[in-house]
Amino acid sequence: MPAVDLNFVEQAVALIGRKPADLIPILQALQDHHGCLPKEALARLSELTEIHPSAISGVSTFYDMFRLKPAGKHILRVCHGTACHVAGAGRVEDALRRHLRIPAGADTDDAQQFTIEPVACLGCCTLAPVVKIGNSTIGHVSAEKCADQVRDYLDQLSEAAGAKSTEEVEHRPGNGSAQIHVGLGSCCMAKGSDQLFHALREQAGLCGGNVTIKRVGCMGMCHRTPMIEVDQPGKAAAFYSDVTPAQAGALMQRHFRPRGLLRRAGRLWTSMLDSLLLEEDAPQRQVARFSMSKRDPAVRAFLENQVHIATEHFGKLDPLDLDEYVAHDGFAALRRCLATPGDNAAPALSPEQLVAAIEQSGLRGRGGAGFPTGQKWRVVSRQPGDVKYVICNGDEGDPGAFMDRMILESFPYRVIEGLALAAAAVGAREGIFYVRHEYPLAVRRVRAAIAEMERRGWLGATLMGAGFPLRLRVVEGAGAFVCGEETALIASVEGRRGMPRLRPPFPAESGLWGKPTLINNVESLALVPWIIRHGPEKFAALGTATSKGTKVFALAGRIRRGGLIEVPMGATLREIIEKIGGGAAEGRRIKAVQIGGPSGGCVPASLMDTPVDYESLREVGAIMGSGGMVVLDDSCCMVDIARYFLQFTQNQSCGKCTFCRVGTRRMLDLLDKLCAGKAQRSHLEELERLARQVSAGSLCGLGKTAPNPVLSTLRYFRSEFEAHLEGRCPAGQCAALIKYRVTDACTGCTLCAQHCPVHAIPMTPYARHEIDLGLCTRCDTCRKVCPQKAIEVT
Amino acid sequence: MSAFQITIDGKEVEVAPGHTVLEAARQIGIAIPTLCHLEKCGPLTSCQVCLVKVVANGQSRLTPSCATLAVPGMVIESETDEVHEARRTALELLFSDHVGDCLSPCNRLCPLQLNIPAMLRQIQAGRLDEAIVTVRQSLPLAGVLGRLCHHPCEQGCRRGVFDEPAAIREMERFLTDHDSKQEFRQSVLSMPKAASTRQSVVVVGAGPAGLAAAHDLARSSFAVTVIDRNARPGGTLRDVPQADMPAAVLEAEVALLAGMGIDFKTGIELGAQVTLDGLRRGFDAILLTVGELAKGAGEKLEVPLAGALLKADPSTCMASPPGIFAAGSCVKPIKQIVRAIAEGRAAADCVRLYLRGQSPRRAGKPFSSIMGRLEPGEMRDFLRAAGQEPSAAPCSRCSATNRAAAVQEAARCLHCDCRSSGNCLLQHYAQVYGADASRFRSERRPFEQQLQPAGIIFEPGKCILCGICVKLTELAAEPLGLSFVGRGFDVRVAAPLGRPIQDGLQAVAEECVRHCPTGALVFAEKTIPADGKV
Repeated sequence: MPAVDLNFVEQAVALIGRKPADLIPILQALQDHHGCLPKEALARLSELTEIHPSAISGVSTFYDMFRLKPAGKHILRVCHGTACHVAGAGRVEDALRRHLRIPAGADTDDAQQFTIEPVACLGCCTLAPVVKIGNSTIGHVSAEKCADQVRDYLDQLSEAAGAKSTEEVEHRPGNGSAQIHVGLGSCCMAKGSDQLFHALREQAGLCGGNVTIKRVGCMGMCHRTPMIEVDQPGKAAAFYSDVTPAQAGALMQRHFRPRGLLRRAGRLWTSMLDSLLLEEDAPQRQVARFSMSKRDPAVRAFLENQVHIATEHFGKLDPLDLDEYVAHDGFAALRRCLATPGDNAAPALSPEQLVAAIEQSGLRGRGGAGFPTGQKWRVVSRQPGDVKYVICNGDEGDPGAFMDRMILESFPYRVIEGLALAAAAVGAREGIFYVRHEYPLAVRRVRAAIAEMERRGWLGATLMGAGFPLRLRVVEGAGAFVCGEETALIASVEGRRGMPRLRPPFPAESGLWGKPTLINNVESLALVPWIIRHGPEKFAALGTATSKGTKVFALAGRIRRGGLIEVPMGATLREIIEKIGGGAAEGRRIKAVQIGGPSGGCVPASLMDTPVDYESLREVGAIMGSGGMVVLDDSCCMVDIARYFLQFTQNQSCGKCTFCRVGTRRMLDLLDKLCAGKAQRSHLEELERLARQVSAGSLCGLGKTAPNPVLSTLRYFRSEFEAHLEGRCPAGQCAALIKYRVTDACTGCTLCAQHCPVHAIPMTPYARHEIDLGLCTRCDTCRKVCPQKAIEVT
Repeated sequence: MSAFQITIDGKEVEVAPGHTVLEAARQIGIAIPTLCHLEKCGPLTSCQVCLVKVVANGQSRLTPSCATLAVPGMVIESETDEVHEARRTALELLFSDHVGDCLSPCNRLCPLQLNIPAMLRQIQAGRLDEAIVTVRQSLPLAGVLGRLCHHPCEQGCRRGVFDEPAAIREMERFLTDHDSKQEFRQSVLSMPKAASTRQSVVVVGAGPAGLAAAHDLARSSFAVTVIDRNARPGGTLRDVPQADMPAAVLEAEVALLAGMGIDFKTGIELGAQVTLDGLRRGFDAILLTVGELAKGAGEKLEVPLAGALLKADPSTCMASPPGIFAAGSCVKPIKQIVRAIAEGRAAADCVRLYLRGQSPRRAGKPFSSIMGRLEPGEMRDFLRAAGQEPSAAPCSRCSATNRAAAVQEAARCLHCDCRSSGNCLLQHYAQVYGADASRFRSERRPFEQQLQPAGIIFEPGKCILCGICVKLTELAAEPLGLSFVGRGFDVRVAAPLGRPIQDGLQAVAEECVRHCPTGALVFAEKTIPADGKV
């Protein structure tokens, strides 16, 4: 093994610092540099810094992103988010392991070429199943095709060496009156929208200067990316989905007058484009229409304008164009809370009034538990002392949730404004964005937005060049779901293992470095500027008696149209799933919707008229959570879903308290038994009893809510658990309980035999094929490739 | 703020501000169990065994009392079924991931719970005087058992999986023979001199069960009289062929019992020379250990019958109240001597409780975590820890005729018991709360033992991750210290940077061992010789 370059440790320490709080950033730098954390480097680190060896060992083994062993040349991160799970992520991982010859129990092949790392959620749920190779995200991966997909990636790698990033190009406001908006969120980019962006720019140059190709944030319809909107003065906007860079020229031809002789050819091209043009009934139009469908025209008009609050101007704004944000009322709310420069007059809104406004708005925390935001602000504002902190919690770890990622990627200035307003209200002079490292684009954009504001003198010594000093920085998480819990998040910012502690004292009283600390979720903060600009009454007028305003949901799973939506509180699940999401896929029946991720529950189809508000969802055994909404249909096994979530929380437990550390593991053992058809009735009873005890006895929210997915599936789908006791999986998902069989419809085409990865189907041309069940791994490939639908699962 | 009142289990207690619920409860004598609590460490809130229920505004929640500050007017429930169930579950969860046996299989399988590994360690160290005390404390009629016991202990001996079990019965025989040569100096020293209580018990029948009961009752300082219809005590032991046990062995044991102050009256038959009523007038309790009943013999005894046997409640050994107990083959047929002796012991326990005004109850089996079979790799570790090279040719057990042979044989013990048994909080609370160590039976981790040259032994499988040692190294500013390594179910305590654990314990090794709530961190040297813990 080559000697470890210890100079880099010295450089990293010199650049980042020597204090205990610098540990995680240093380790991140070492990991980036070496691909892992070599033990020589860690030993050197303890010599060079004030960081105690026990912290180095404790922290480097706590967070998912740190590897102690070298990885292969290419790292494949297989997403195991909820949407990916129900779309077959497990089969994809199995297939990749087989294809890349990664031995059982290892994560890297013998030739050190490929490493497979399962990840909790990449937040690209509408493209499920998703695999990230290097920095590229590949959506809609399948067990049958993943080998080709990896090969394509490797082929492109050499070609793409010079590919431009959309983050580094200058985003100048164009002078053209026409604009083409290209959605450049993570989901869009996973489907190549950045390459499309460059292609369009090139074509726009050829066309003449009267069209601006504009980067915008998420456009909502994540399942049809890359998406573009062509905006021409005096014409209705045209939407295109699934556009490839090769079609950029044709697109320009269609909308903008071509010069020269290409006109004729252009027409031919554009007729082809018609097929890509979205029907007028585009779902993101429906988002608006959804509220308009209310009969009362007055209410209709009111709601129509109120749907997008956290996501105001979605699909229109360049995420990093500060001037554009300002032109759209950006920082108007903040300015009202700051004294006018050169004038000693008090600000229009005092901190006290600011707190009162948030209280009046009825805003409740959008991170999960729904604690009243104003009350939190009040407590922190009343704490004595000069040093206070505000933290934006962007550690969105729920599998199946990507609202916060989208908001940070698309509206970084809005969240900065929200955090600055919070700082103004409580008297904090320092703020932190805690963002998970799995969201590199969000991290980059928030950092860029902060840098831009610092460049203008709007952050730092004075806020907006007039107010109090405010310093903001980004702290990247290192991969630990539990760090979404406030006290664990603080431990992580302080450079420690993300272990929660008992509350009280709450962070509002004793938080970061023992000082009063306000922690709000991304979406909560994104709502704040709107509330201040429009007044709390206007916000409180939306929603239900106890849940005000809107809620952003990440809609994904077994549904026709997934994406990012913002609806008023009180909308029913049916409205969201059927109207916005378009309901179940052809021939399928919706069985349940999972809300609230691993702390939430599964609401059965029979309760689809439940309105989304904190209390109603709790009543039916789910929670609002951060807003992940994964729709499950009749092909999903509810026991498997319960097991899936338990596996997630068990894997994410910090390991501190007995009930969570061992209790969730024992629950998982019982669920494993059920899925393997080896459970008896007494196991089912023990599972239920233990679930209640883990919930009652755990120290923090993670453990207390971990049993929820089990309890809610037991409540609504007990018959499926009972079936597993009898050795049956009604949904045909649990591998140990199902068999594949070839029916008489087989024509002997041999496709199944060719594709079977484990050679369980002997090739018998023109004769009915047979599956060797001893060899069969139930990977489902044969059924998927069979053109005659001659493979059945029993 | 001045002191205020809170309510725990309906009792008001005055609490100073800043005190926890745990401290308040201890003030009024409510013993909330704790494993991870050590005052100087502050709340570590890891074990969750100290849970209590806080009731407020019609709602309630469980909370760790060690970290929950008392606030005025607080209402707490501690000693309720619900809270106890939660504590028991926490213990059971800890046991489900606890790799190690409190008691060795030989010890558990011995109906008399002889601490065999302790005895063997004493023999190995040449301290035969201590070894004989260990034996005599657990085994009535030790000399007899050293010859006649069917030794279930040896069937369970883990060494037997590798080559041959330790020759445990041989060791007992060697010790008692050695003792008899020294005129039972140690045995006599370890026995109480005379009855110091006025309460008296008569044991009817001087067979193995009766003699064992008499032995235990005399040890509990009751005045014990044994009557038997035969001319000499011993019952069926008198029928044993001389080749299996010379008569002198039995005589010596009886002499020892007589030396303890037991009054033997032979040639007296119940129903003939004495009546039950007569005994009842003369003694505070009567124990019938009359052995197998000849036809019609039961009726003469004037106690309830179940068929041809005496009827006695199996959980209390009570034949008919007040104060008449029965045990041994007159209650149920018993084949093995050691079982008869164990029955006598169980009855003696019940008699003792009865005479002390408590409800008689047969003692349950002592609690033990159970690790099960050893994997081959684990066997190697145990052999190595016992100072034996796994590669050495299997040693066949020896018949211990001399001291050197006995020492050599004793050295074959794998010491698969826990060095902290009897000194372990986890084990203690498991007994108190009636925890079922196998409730969450599942695949276990491999047993691991880190033997450190400095004499510290760390067994990670027994660590409950309480965090006390980690915190103590931090408080003592150990240069290396200890750390939690890993996350979730796989968290382990280790010295940082892959160093051996002793390097992290420069100044606080002793303190850490002392405060380790289980047997995860122990000193090798202090536990192998002395056996004060059990």
